[in-house]
Amino acid sequence: MLKGIQVTVRDGERVAVIGESGSGKTTLLKVMLGILPPVSGRVRVLGHEIYRLPHRQRWKVTSQVGYVPQEPARALNPRLKIRDIVMEPLERFKLTERERDERVKEAIRMVQLHESILDYYPTQLSGGMMQRALIARAIVHDPEILLLDEPTSALDVSIQAQIINLLDAIQRKLECSMITVTHDLPVAQYLADRAVLLHKGTIVEDAPFEELIRSPKSEFAKTLIRSYTLTASGLIRSVD
Amino acid sequence: MSEVKEVLELSHAVRRAWIRSTRFKVGAALSSFVLLLAILGPLVAPYPSEGMGAVPPTAAERTGRPPSFEFPMGTDNLGRDVLSRVLMGARLALIQITTVVAASLAIGLVVGVLAAYYRGPIEVALNYLTEVFLALPAIVMALALRLALGQGFHTLLFSLILSWWPWYARASFVYARSVVEMDYVLLARLAGVPDRVVLLRHVLWNILQPVLVQAITDLGSVLLEASAINFLGLGLKPDEPDWGIIAQNGFKYITSMPWISLFPGLFILLTALGFSLLGDALREELDPRLRRRWKLWF
Amino acid sequence: MVLAVASRNLSIGYEELDSVVWAVKNVSLEIERGSAFCLAGESGCGKSTLGSAIAGILPPHAVTKGVLLVNGKSVINGEVRDYEGVRGRRVTYIPQNPGSSLSPYLKIGGQFYHVLKSVHGLEKREAFAKARDYLRKVELNPDDVLERYPHELSGGMQQRAAIALALSTGAELLVADEPTSALDAHLRLQIVELLRKLREENGLTLIFISHDLLLASALCEKSAVMYAGRIVEIGDTRRIMEAPAHPYTRMLIGAIPRLGDKRPLRSYPGEPPRPGEEKVGCPFYDRCPSSIAKCTREKPSLVPVGDGRYVECWLYA
Repeated sequence: MLKGIQVTVRDGERVAVIGESGSGKTTLLKVMLGILPPVSGRVRVLGHEIYRLPHRQRWKVTSQVGYVPQEPARALNPRLKIRDIVMEPLERFKLTERERDERVKEAIRMVQLHESILDYYPTQLSGGMMQRALIARAIVHDPEILLLDEPTSALDVSIQAQIINLLDAIQRKLECSMITVTHDLPVAQYLADRAVLLHKGTIVEDAPFEELIRSPKSEFAKTLIRSYTLTASGLIRSVD
Repeated sequence: MSEVKEVLELSHAVRRAWIRSTRFKVGAALSSFVLLLAILGPLVAPYPSEGMGAVPPTAAERTGRPPSFEFPMGTDNLGRDVLSRVLMGARLALIQITTVVAASLAIGLVVGVLAAYYRGPIEVALNYLTEVFLALPAIVMALALRLALGQGFHTLLFSLILSWWPWYARASFVYARSVVEMDYVLLARLAGVPDRVVLLRHVLWNILQPVLVQAITDLGSVLLEASAINFLGLGLKPDEPDWGIIAQNGFKYITSMPWISLFPGLFILLTALGFSLLGDALREELDPRLRRRWKLWF
Repeated sequence: MVLAVASRNLSIGYEELDSVVWAVKNVSLEIERGSAFCLAGESGCGKSTLGSAIAGILPPHAVTKGVLLVNGKSVINGEVRDYEGVRGRRVTYIPQNPGSSLSPYLKIGGQFYHVLKSVHGLEKREAFAKARDYLRKVELNPDDVLERYPHELSGGMQQRAAIALALSTGAELLVADEPTSALDAHLRLQIVELLRKLREENGLTLIFISHDLLLASALCEKSAVMYAGRIVEIGDTRRIMEAPAHPYTRMLIGAIPRLGDKRPLRSYPGEPPRPGEEKVGCPFYDRCPSSIAKCTREKPSLVPVGDGRYVECWLYA
């Protein structure tokens, strides 16, 4: 599925992995999470090769990664209250009841949700709220890396804008590395400084966004950029 | 805060079902009626000892009496009051079915969930085991156990549990399989949540509802099977006040004293129907896909 | 001059067990023949329901009020719906997911045969010949496609086949419900270009339902922006994009992330009301940065603001 991938993400970097369906981006994600071991080569997350560690030890590394999966409806246990969902990553850490509570409330505040939502169940929330709850869970333990899988694909345009602005603010506050996997180029541009383009299992571009847009090297990149920039018959100037 | 979406909680479903569904009301009525008989029966029965099987000294005078004011369900061939026997039978019936269903459910859940969660050789082994037991009908097992262990409550219990648990195992496996694929299970594991907690909090908790509703419906079916086993003399001992046994007793006299078999048979029917309707109505409430937009009168 | 679509105070709702949830509220619009019109908005705004009403595929438990005319024929009049001769003949429909409009059990050729036989009474040979024509129109190679099952085709090809199938009914009015949302980005523009070409060549009237106003602007001259079941702004697409009048439209357009443009995205807190939520006053009131006291009390109605543009907002009344 993936061939000859070589990528490094440094501390505090904001990277977007951009690819369409079948490009291998999901596989790359699984590799980054340590779920899928590489057939050949090495994968290091925060200095550790996760798949070499015994299962019981893995969480020490994976717990430093805040992962926000693609579909909120599948990522929230419908039988748990939001409070328990957001608190779950903290269970392994030695914290007092009060500290845990504080962190949960802090996380909820950071995603701009009201504290009262902690007593709700996922089925009572809208799509945007579920996404925020998931983000809250991902950041509650102050992760080193934030890994997002299509964070806005299921959302309406106006909610998408809210979440994009939110993620931008969170990343700045936490000073963590942020990796966004998406097929949406403009969204990726807002969430990252560097773009890694994946096409049919290989990396075809790895460059800062400005450079990519100015001078794309691969055919795929060119086609992709073209499809987001409408031709003269429909070009719309910036509105404000 | 936007309005609350429909919560698929069992308690809410029960409330909704009570309001909306006639079947639920009928089922609940029948089930509660039988439950009431089970609890109060022994206190209300006019001849409790006869109910338990003892033959009264005055029996000889009143064998085979048809239903009358004195004996509302008549007397059997030995002169025992059928009403008392039926009343005592209610309690026995409920004890049997709740024990069987509870035990089968417990075993089935464990097997199904473990198979779905751990996959690999464990999944294969447990599924194979399930398939084997699925193929064995209860009555055949009752026959074998009767020979091995003799008659009694234990024989009935084991033969039914051994034939019912695989149904719950299979249902649990199917539900658990889709739950295990959910991202919240992945997230929990990434966060370091220990396996047993994941199994309880995420997997089990999410498959319990549909399986539980199935169990309620099954109470009726188990009763039918248990009665059949007892009727055939493969389960409880002949003097016990089990409805199946009472019916069996009266079978020889079906043409001359039909009431001996009729009344227990009727109660078996009503109880089974009650639980069936109850379970069905609950299932309809909980699974939005099954819900109908139009309603017949029931 | 007969309009392709005309509606007056049209409302459409869905029957729930104990109430009616109104998805489209009091919509009046006119769509000219041969034009391309966009129904724009986010989820729950009612655009799909309106599109379904025009195409004649409202479910049985739908409830209607007001009037809807398609090609001059009254298809909705109060509670009565009559699509005889219209559905599948004058109007055709393309859903979002191409997979669901193509039967998985029939080869593409077979699907054309079914449609052409029931609509035009064609026999196998003629049907297949016509199918080839239509497939070529959508830039597919008939030899590649006719003998295949839908799942053997890529998403883009499936959608083209679906369009060809829709056209083969001979309908002049095409309702496309988010036809590109399920496709990869580089295919989207292609499909839009295809639709534009087909429209020009065949004189079709196109109703394009989308949440992507930017994409729609490449195709549709006129657009209606919907929010909470109502039309809040309607007029020339390009002018709406350049100078949106309604605060919601302004938010919507400012929220679209554009490549090469890194200015902050416009986002107002809050979410669109859910279908079924009834509010007094303007539905956008709680999120609107320019609301005035009147907005909480009364619902505005459509008023002209020049240039053929209409807006439903107290700021302009």
